[in-house]
Amino acid sequence: MHKQTTFLANVRTALGEAPQVERSKSTFPRLFAAPDTTETLKKICGRTVTELNELVTIFLHNGNMLNISSHIAESLHEAADVVVELIRTKEPEFNYVKHVIMHDHPDIAALELWNRFNREAVTLHTTFSRDRQITDKTIASFIGITAPTIGVADSATVIQLTEPGRPRSTSLLPSLHIALLRRENIVADLAEAYALLRQKSYLDSLVFISGPSKTADIEAHMVYGAHGPRELHLIVLAEPVTER
Amino acid sequence: MSKKPQSQYCMDAKKSMDSPRLQASLHSLQNRFGKGAMALWAEMDDQDMRRRVKKSRMKNLEYLDILLAELAKNVRTRGGHVHFAETAQDAIDYTLDVARKNEVKRVVKGKSMLSMEIAIDPALQEAGIEVVETDLGEYIIQLAGDKPSHIIAPCIHMDRSRIGELFAEKLGIDYTDDPPSLTAAARKALREKLLSADMGLTGCNLACAATGHISLVSNEGNIRMSTTMPPVHVALMGMERIVATLDEHRETVQLLTRGAALQKLSTYVSFVGGPSSDDDPDGSKEFHLVIIDNGRSKILADPEFREVLACIRCGACLNICPVYGRIGGHAYNSPYCGPIGAVVTPLLDGINKHADLCKGETLCGACKDICPVQIDLPRMLAALRQKLAYGSDRWNTRQHNPLEVYAFTLWRLIVCWSPLYRTGLKIARLCQRPFVEKNRMIKRMAGVASGWTDGRDLPPIAKKTFDEIWQEKHATPLPKLPVATKEDNNA
Amino acid sequence: MPGKTVSLFIQCLVDTMFPETGEAMISVFDRLGVAYDYPPGQTCCGQPAFNSGYSRDAAAAAKHFIDIFEAAAVIVCPSGSCVHMVRHHYPELFADDPAMHSRALAIGAKTFEFTQYLVDELAIHDVGAQFPGTVTYHDSCHLNRGLGIADQPRTLLKNVRGLELIEMRDSDTCCGFGGTFSVNYPEISVAMVDEKVDNILATGAGTVTGCDISCLMNILGRLRRRGEDVQVLHIAQILAGDKGEKR
Repeated sequence: MHKQTTFLANVRTALGEAPQVERSKSTFPRLFAAPDTTETLKKICGRTVTELNELVTIFLHNGNMLNISSHIAESLHEAADVVVELIRTKEPEFNYVKHVIMHDHPDIAALELWNRFNREAVTLHTTFSRDRQITDKTIASFIGITAPTIGVADSATVIQLTEPGRPRSTSLLPSLHIALLRRENIVADLAEAYALLRQKSYLDSLVFISGPSKTADIEAHMVYGAHGPRELHLIVLAEPVTER
Repeated sequence: MSKKPQSQYCMDAKKSMDSPRLQASLHSLQNRFGKGAMALWAEMDDQDMRRRVKKSRMKNLEYLDILLAELAKNVRTRGGHVHFAETAQDAIDYTLDVARKNEVKRVVKGKSMLSMEIAIDPALQEAGIEVVETDLGEYIIQLAGDKPSHIIAPCIHMDRSRIGELFAEKLGIDYTDDPPSLTAAARKALREKLLSADMGLTGCNLACAATGHISLVSNEGNIRMSTTMPPVHVALMGMERIVATLDEHRETVQLLTRGAALQKLSTYVSFVGGPSSDDDPDGSKEFHLVIIDNGRSKILADPEFREVLACIRCGACLNICPVYGRIGGHAYNSPYCGPIGAVVTPLLDGINKHADLCKGETLCGACKDICPVQIDLPRMLAALRQKLAYGSDRWNTRQHNPLEVYAFTLWRLIVCWSPLYRTGLKIARLCQRPFVEKNRMIKRMAGVASGWTDGRDLPPIAKKTFDEIWQEKHATPLPKLPVATKEDNNA
Repeated sequence: MPGKTVSLFIQCLVDTMFPETGEAMISVFDRLGVAYDYPPGQTCCGQPAFNSGYSRDAAAAAKHFIDIFEAAAVIVCPSGSCVHMVRHHYPELFADDPAMHSRALAIGAKTFEFTQYLVDELAIHDVGAQFPGTVTYHDSCHLNRGLGIADQPRTLLKNVRGLELIEMRDSDTCCGFGGTFSVNYPEISVAMVDEKVDNILATGAGTVTGCDISCLMNILGRLRRRGEDVQVLHIAQILAGDKGEKR
């Protein structure tokens, strides 16, 4: 703490303040003042299906430009079809066996993928909290499936929070990342997303993902799959709702 | 008068200008990203955003002590460690200590210019620790034993065949110059390093004081890897890279990714606020945030230069600067190149030492136009030149060129006394006679002026100056001052 | 015509090396019926010293300028960078001297670049000039970025009879002059002007023009060294309908 004291005293000196007098944030309430987001939150919750579908269209359009492969599924069963097709057709990159790792999330569990592969050499893993072998299983997997909390239409971003049973590496180590996103979790832009995030700011880790991993470091030539997944598949779960 | 010996800056600049490969790369980089960013700013719906973010950057600097204390408190609450390092050595010592306690053998690095500024790599290597850059461009540079030449595109000066040869030699793969194959080879080699490293070492693009997070942007995913897989994560943060609230973060990070690569957001924006919980299978179990001054408080204290601390290191100014576009990054001899480097390097590392960076621009103003936070770099370049002209105690700077001082003193006498000015012109006109060629241009001059005529012709002083023509044609002497003529006009 | 008498501020390079530019400006004013005078004793605005960091010496030149021009109703100069100096840097030079500071602000407020004065102040878009031929226009940095002048010269050029304006690529990229920069870092400076010259040649235009003689002198010098005979004219010479002496 001694280092911090002298460091901040130096900063105060540079600012022309008394070096030894610690300044308290309560003296400057406006410094951390955050705008009122009640209206924004109301707007997000009050969106009609038509409005949400417009956001989906925008998301898919913007995602397309970022090389995100998107699918719309009207039911969990349809979503599972997409996932199964990907598992069947894509080939592992780092080994020869098909391991799939997925977050411990009710929507992913509801896909009931284990019912689809009883006669195929596909191994499914779920990132149950406290399983000490998760990292090894993730490294071995060629597909990682997550269900992000928020989708942002304007920047084609999914926001993945780190929570128990939902570790960071599921969307990072496998060659393919499948993100299962509920239509009602899509917001228009980052302003709306941050309004939601402010309620989650206690988390020690979260990540915005806007496309597959990429690099253009060699002669500005765009290559997908630098360190993270080389493909990002977005499945928007849009179950039909009868509008009033 | 003889010609000055060439400085390192000039020699490095010449080397770059002589490389057709680099010139072509720089050209296409500037065409795409420089023009792209200008177009982006012009099209942006929210035309006030840049001014607003600049204002918040400057405001946050005024309360920097409060913000840093708040950030540290919030990170510590989550179980993270925060170390305040006044000097580069202090930051190095702390990091080495963390490495020693954790018996670190291999460090994987996310791209960080600050890590180069404090020269931490050699210190780690000296301690027997393997240091691996994981950003593809930085990795290539490291394999080649070279230096980065662009803030965002570090190996822009190397072509694919050079990289192909390098990979064949260092990674033992068959030669290829196909970028996807080369990238795949690096992906494989680095994945092994990333999965087996004991420590991740990254920078910090932007910290948020209110929530106690640092945030890191990347497209490759290497930074996510470096902060997720190793058990220890050390983040080096320049003390000015902080915002107060999440709202400020939102706007600032968007300007950063737009300025850097015309992206609404980079592929990944990771927020890290402490070590991962015991239940998490990954994420670092120890998180250390090292907040570094290393000369920044001195810049903060000088109102003339404080503005440069508003910089968010997007590198946009490199993508438009006509000087950088010719000389590339190596001539700046600093982790920070381009217009931002020309201002910040002398301030951090000595104005006299980097005099060429202060003087080697045309002050065209393109960098100010493109800067997402509208930093007036040309103003600060002029201010740095003032330190060189007259010396500065505050900046421990001595007069750069005593001869130039005399020259401008003489110039001042001449321009402030027009009879002397007019006489001087007449003498110069006589002296130039032997040099004026048939096409009425001067092709060769001696001394300092040869700088002009080495590559260009120079028009001579006219047979009659405008002043002389005026005196002849408007023979009736006009009133000395136009006070009287004012009434004439109204008539 | 508007009643203000224009005080001519003849940039030092125009005075000494390109007097025909000053004469051209006068003949445009004559044609438009604008009254003018030429305050004697004027020398240099101080820009070379300021850009080299010699702000105290520049301040001395600035004070000289203010003394000479203070009584003027309006000051017009055929150079954007000098006007930028007077308008934006004079007040900075006297930041610690309130009396001089306010004099500097007052001078700055009535100092205009030539095309800016014609278009913005006098609302003249057509000076009635003739100029047969193709012309390309270079945007000087301090004119364009410092003063925001880009449309005014183009408006005037487009209304010149017989003139075809061909825009060059990157017309707003610096030509590499930069005052003492061009002498201190000649190789970088020449590399920059080479690109400018390439872009000029690519238009195929017979003439290149601009509002700042310093940039034009740099471009001219490089064109001639490369053996190119594209004509280089200050915009005043085109607006005077005077094809000028070729050199």
